Amino acid sequence: MAIVKMKRLRLMLVRSQKEELLRELTRLGCVQVSEMEEELQEQESQGLVRRESSELTALKTRHAALERALELLRRYAPEKKPLLSAKPELESRVLLETEGLEDALKLAAALDEREDRIRRITAEESRQRSLIESLTPWTELDLPLETEGTERAAVVLGSLSNRIPLEQVENALETAAEEAELFLVSMDRSQRYVLLLAAREQLTAAQECLRGFGFSAASLSGCTGTARDGIAAAEKSLEELAAEKGTLAGEIAAEAPRREELQLAADRLATRIGMAEAEEKLYGTGSSVVLEGWVPAEKEDELARLLEGFTCAWETEEPAEDEYPQVPVKLKNNKFSNALNMVTNMYSLPAYGTVDPNPIMAPFFILFYGLMMADMGYGLIMIAAALVAMKKIKPRGGTLAFCQLLLYAGVSTFVMGALTGSLFGNAPEVIAGMFGSEWKGLPALFSPVKDSTLVLYGAMALGVIHLNVGMIVSFLEKKRAGNVMDGVFEEGPLWVMLLGGVLLALDLLGVLKAQALHYTGLALLIVGGVMLLYGAGRHAKGFGKVTAWFGDILSYSRIMALMLAGGVVAQVFNTIAAMPSENGVTVFSGIIFLLIFLVGHALNFGLNLLGCFVHDLRLQCLEFFGKFYQDGGKPFRPLEIHSKYAVAKEE
Amino acid sequence: MEFLNTIGGYALGLLGAGLAALLAGIGSAKGTGIAGEAGAGLVSEDPSKFGKAMILQVIPGTQGLYGFVIWFIAFNKLVPGMSVTEGLQILSACLPIALGGLLSGIAQGKVAAASVNILAKKPDDWSKGMILCITVEFYAILALLASFMMLGRITIGA
Repeated sequence: MAIVKMKRLRLMLVRSQKEELLRELTRLGCVQVSEMEEELQEQESQGLVRRESSELTALKTRHAALERALELLRRYAPEKKPLLSAKPELESRVLLETEGLEDALKLAAALDEREDRIRRITAEESRQRSLIESLTPWTELDLPLETEGTERAAVVLGSLSNRIPLEQVENALETAAEEAELFLVSMDRSQRYVLLLAAREQLTAAQECLRGFGFSAASLSGCTGTARDGIAAAEKSLEELAAEKGTLAGEIAAEAPRREELQLAADRLATRIGMAEAEEKLYGTGSSVVLEGWVPAEKEDELARLLEGFTCAWETEEPAEDEYPQVPVKLKNNKFSNALNMVTNMYSLPAYGTVDPNPIMAPFFILFYGLMMADMGYGLIMIAAALVAMKKIKPRGGTLAFCQLLLYAGVSTFVMGALTGSLFGNAPEVIAGMFGSEWKGLPALFSPVKDSTLVLYGAMALGVIHLNVGMIVSFLEKKRAGNVMDGVFEEGPLWVMLLGGVLLALDLLGVLKAQALHYTGLALLIVGGVMLLYGAGRHAKGFGKVTAWFGDILSYSRIMALMLAGGVVAQVFNTIAAMPSENGVTVFSGIIFLLIFLVGHALNFGLNLLGCFVHDLRLQCLEFFGKFYQDGGKPFRPLEIHSKYAVAKEE
Repeated sequence: MEFLNTIGGYALGLLGAGLAALLAGIGSAKGTGIAGEAGAGLVSEDPSKFGKAMILQVIPGTQGLYGFVIWFIAFNKLVPGMSVTEGLQILSACLPIALGGLLSGIAQGKVAAASVNILAKKPDDWSKGMILCITVEFYAILALLASFMMLGRITIGA
């Protein structure tokens, strides 16, 4: 329920046990290796102590090769897996072994080589296709394409724009070069393909004339024989290429049974990369290495037991306050507040030594979400989706937090839906109406459509509570740090003024008519104002706080806005869906109802699922966190098993 | 006033309802259009991102839906022969979503198109692009609510 206490770990080890220690620490998964402090780096002993090197680059290259091979298998032999399925569990020992790596890499290289050939074949195919394309206009020509003419006459193949009538071109040609003639071979939408026959000495003149009409010689260099023969040859080679490509693809697909071997190897390499990265942070002499890092205080015993088997000297110490910015942050939460990890991570982790916001935020986040979504039907869908995902995927870490959040938000949505009497909007009422019933729908404690003003005030009142909780946390934090007066002059004035405002309002609105209330209220407002001015002077900030506070409260009106909008859109879809059934339900009108109902609610549900999350997030991260939160914590990244295709069994 | 009388309240009401669906629809069409173009560019490079690109594209599509919702409610209130005052009331109530939908749809489309860049360059962070889009959505929701509550107050033939 808080930020986990960390201890700095310093460890010195004989060099021969380096590999084994890193492997064991990875298995334990609770030590983060960090960069050595500068003082250690700049010691006089720099000549003796060197930074350790590792084969990180080579490991990364190999890992990339394995991933590429897996990607090829996915493309040529897609895995048939149910949509939601859990990753296989493996002993962590298995994931830390290195055997079989060479075989997997050989397989990856073989697959890659085939893919390379496929790529070359594809390039060749497109070359052949464009050849066919350039030959097609000349299929009617029986002349071999390489013909250049006789001793006296030249033959040139080329194309002309067909915007100009052929006759006009021919006439012009006749005047320019008497002994030249054009023969039309074929034409398409924009071009005429022609053969120019001209006496050698007049060829230049003829070409010059034709160029004025957009003539360009065909580039068929290298083609021999007639166009028809050329096309046939190209088609034959296309066929052969396609067959070869098919064989290669088949060969890749045939390796699909070894997919798991590749996946395991990739996971093992990913873990090795993590170890190598840690290794590069170590320093060592000829016979020893030094490691510095962080370990959660609660895991120290486990670490001690592990280190018993090593020839090493080690110590841990609690970080001093001025070291807090370097301490990695790990949040420890129970099942309920763990769900909010996702929200905190999306924003920024709290600084070490401050408050973990999750337990305080959790009830508000879930309540607000329910209020905004407020529909029994949608709530049930969310609960079902979360439960199914949890059962099938067996998620961990971030995905688990997401599923939990979905589950709790779903329950809250369902409860709020019950209070506002909405089940897919006003679906029960509309459906009853289709069958001629006068039933007025589910009972509701309050309805966002009819009591929108009440809901608006309620939303803002919740905002006041929410903000005050944030301020209380801030006050307590300041008190803990020994700056009570800071708290008194930062949070205090707002509380005094809030109390004054409430007393004054009680009198003015006539709830409790009393002169005493009136004047006490006014007096408190003035006292609060003076305190605020004094506080602003102390730290030269904060007078804008009052206006900012009112802005923050108004922002909570979005709870009402989203609640209302979701309900209204749902109602309209229900009404439209029921329209064909106005004069009694038939099979046809029933089907139309179902269609519009399903599509409409799917749309509204999807939109609200996202919209409510975003706006809830905003209320927490902007309005609420703004009151007390100190972010900037660096996440705790221990040396652990990095696996993508399997999960390590918990021991 | 005489001029308006020759037009009649019914026509004014129809104009209002029509504008709600029309302008908000234009906003969504332009918004999804802008986002769709960006999405198509990305999908041409990497077809596997189609699903996410499509989600970004449909986000600016809601304004049209909101406009249609208001059109529907306003349309159900219209009665032939209603007074010019009543017609103008409907017309006024339809304006927030008509203009709000038009402008927020286009603005959201631009954010969605920019978010396609996030999807292209940092695929893991694409959900943050979605969040940026939803911020614009809020103002369309407010416009919808304004129109809705105004229409709720209007009683025809009272």
